[in-house]
Amino acid sequence: MVLSLNIGVYDFGKSSSYEVLWKFVTGDSSLPLSEKYIIWEVRASRIVMAVLIGSMLAVSGTTLQGMFKNPLATGEAIGLTSGATLLAAIAIVLGHTFEDYLPEIVRNSLVGVSAFVGALLAMIIVYRISTSGGKTNVVMMLLSGVAITSIGFSITGFLIYISKDEQLRDLTFWNLGSLAAATWTKNIILTIVLLLSYIIILPKGKALNAMMLGEKDAQHLGINVETLKKQIVVLTALMVGTCVAFSGTIGFVGLIVPYILRLLFRSDYHFILPLSAICGSILLLFADTISRTIVAPSELPIGILTSLIGGPIFIAILIKFKNTLR
Amino acid sequence: MIKGQNINYKSQKVSILKDVDINVGFGEFLAIVGPNGAGKSSLLNLLANEIKTDNKKNIQFKNKIFSDWNLEELSKHKAKFSQHNAQDIPLLVADVVMMGRYPYFNSQPHSEDFKSVEKAMIETDVVHFQKREYNSLSGGEKQRVHLARVLAQLDNEIENTLLFLDEPLNNLDVKHQYKTLELIKNFTQNNNTAIVVLHDLNLAAQFADHILLMEKGQVLSYGSPENVFTAETISKAYNFPCTICKHPVNDNTMILFG
Repeated sequence: MVLSLNIGVYDFGKSSSYEVLWKFVTGDSSLPLSEKYIIWEVRASRIVMAVLIGSMLAVSGTTLQGMFKNPLATGEAIGLTSGATLLAAIAIVLGHTFEDYLPEIVRNSLVGVSAFVGALLAMIIVYRISTSGGKTNVVMMLLSGVAITSIGFSITGFLIYISKDEQLRDLTFWNLGSLAAATWTKNIILTIVLLLSYIIILPKGKALNAMMLGEKDAQHLGINVETLKKQIVVLTALMVGTCVAFSGTIGFVGLIVPYILRLLFRSDYHFILPLSAICGSILLLFADTISRTIVAPSELPIGILTSLIGGPIFIAILIKFKNTLR
Repeated sequence: MIKGQNINYKSQKVSILKDVDINVGFGEFLAIVGPNGAGKSSLLNLLANEIKTDNKKNIQFKNKIFSDWNLEELSKHKAKFSQHNAQDIPLLVADVVMMGRYPYFNSQPHSEDFKSVEKAMIETDVVHFQKREYNSLSGGEKQRVHLARVLAQLDNEIENTLLFLDEPLNNLDVKHQYKTLELIKNFTQNNNTAIVVLHDLNLAAQFADHILLMEKGQVLSYGSPENVFTAETISKAYNFPCTICKHPVNDNTMILFG
């Protein structure tokens, strides 16, 4: 966090960025307005956003894998992200036609709420198709994800085709994923969502472990599986939806982080659930720092970087599961 | 301990159980036997609250219907060993057994939880591979791990706990078949109850207090082994000839087929 604060396109001249931040925090009036803006509104808010989003994406991935009892279940693979992107895209393009009739609070959160609803719908569809009698069919899970992704892709494509210039820019931003649009208002909303979800989800390590026995045996251990699944469905949709609404599609964080943690701690959700909250932040912050320095003064969309790491890991898991996926 | 009256169960419009009455007392070892598709597992699942009947008032566990029980409290009173255990659990053996203690602690296991796990692992003879990966075990070894898990789950101060076991002897070698049944027998001698689906009639006759013989979703015979295991009843249930005699060494009822 400290390091990435220092790295950036803008040069603070002689003083280091830490001094600038210190001056800002202590309210030093000698600080020029532009430096004030850069350090607080651009760099610090972006770093906080990377931490929040990375953490939530990783936790939602880990939780989904616990529920589907499979390390391949992530927001991208099962179509959650596309569902969220699709409804967010609809909200951007079609939203303005009835925008005038909506109260201001609804107008501002329209994209966010649509993304949540999209993720929730995708989640429910995939779960209904792939799980019956407490057992998840992995092939069905992945294929229904593919189906939802392709539906989402085609409709988003159509929306791009009919959209106006300004909306087009917004849409492209969703598809690539970026943390450049970070603001403190967004960070506050993200923090609220994060706290709300973590209070319920993080103590569920034991329950997710028991789910590995199968849903029925988990029930015999006193775990209310139906309630647990409902909580997971709603909260992961909420987390993924919010992340998509604010940062677009940043893929594979929910795959990479649990994969690495599993190598170290096996599948003990008691450890990997809280750790993925921390490691997700680290990974996304690291990726974001690279993405805005590697091609400076321009920046690389962060989604490209995470997918670059995530793709091979997805293949690695597939190879490992080659024999059991039949 | 557990009572069921007029239990009926349909799955996809096919009638699986018809008017089954059952009453199991404290300290009883009941073996459910019968040919394939007789409804043994369905009956066990219903009694264990795994699937629901149309009329939930039919089954009473400790004089209370299941929906009146708190789920977590219930898990300290009864446990179930399933016929199909999960094959892929990327954890150590000791961690899987520890799952049986989940109803007893919140975040970190207490020392008595570790003691229960240790005890259960010694009883089921899995203690020497407790640090191995569960996924690297053979089928029979995995079975014993789950047996240890359900035993650890019921290791508590509550009097009269109830253990359901669905074909616990699958994949086990002769020594462990006997050890497992002796373990269940010991468990019932402390006023606990065990309801076990078994396939081996001779083992059932040797260990169980009562036998429930099922055929086509109905109770064909219910009582002590000597009364249930008659040549006539068994031949009728299994549609296969058999002879009953006394075991030359321990005098138990012995069934010879063919």
